[in-house]
Amino acid sequence: MGELLPILAQMLFGLLVVAGLSWSLAHPSHRHNVQPHQAHSEWLAAKARAEHLLMEMLSTEDYQHLARRGYIEVRSPNVPERCYRVPKYRGRIHVYEAGRPVMSLCVQPVHHIPDADVVLIHKLMIEGNEQEYLRIANRFDVTPFRQYL
Amino acid sequence: MGKLRILSKLGDTTVQWDTTRGAEEAVREAERIFRQEIAAGSTAFRVSAAAPGERIVSFDPHAEQIVIVPRVAGG
Repeated sequence: MGELLPILAQMLFGLLVVAGLSWSLAHPSHRHNVQPHQAHSEWLAAKARAEHLLMEMLSTEDYQHLARRGYIEVRSPNVPERCYRVPKYRGRIHVYEAGRPVMSLCVQPVHHIPDADVVLIHKLMIEGNEQEYLRIANRFDVTPFRQYL
Repeated sequence: MGKLRILSKLGDTTVQWDTTRGAEEAVREAERIFRQEIAAGSTAFRVSAAAPGERIVSFDPHAEQIVIVPRVAGG
């Protein structure tokens, strides 16, 4: 019996690996962050549309900055020297004042939409509705490490 | 030509209307969609090339472009 246990464990592990691979292949949405019931091709088209809209809405400089640095800077319309760094992909928004990080924010759409549209939402909300944006967002202090960046 | 763009999981859906006379039906349809989206919790911004986005709460048929974004929440 003692000799059988390692063999049984290996067989069980093998079965789990095969089951996991089968599930992953049968559910491509899991690999590409596609919403359930949304076809992969539909999701790719949505991403392309969102990217095109973002390119249209941003200045050439901002769009190039986003591609090169991975974020855009949106100036606060209400607080001088404050700017928001909005990342290209989902993540916290870092807030800087006079060049120093002061806090980070977590705010996101309630529905899953392409990342490029998320960038546009942050920009529009900061520029057009900053107080509401800050009211909704969860705020986080900057870590001691970030203060030296 | 006015343009309403609604962001969703499909990317953006665009509705256009003409601001000249005789296009009242297209304007009404755009306004109906606008109200429906706002009632669902979305937020609308008037956007133009010359200025930053401006939040609006009622439909502006003379806007160059209106972008409707889905509700957001703290993460």
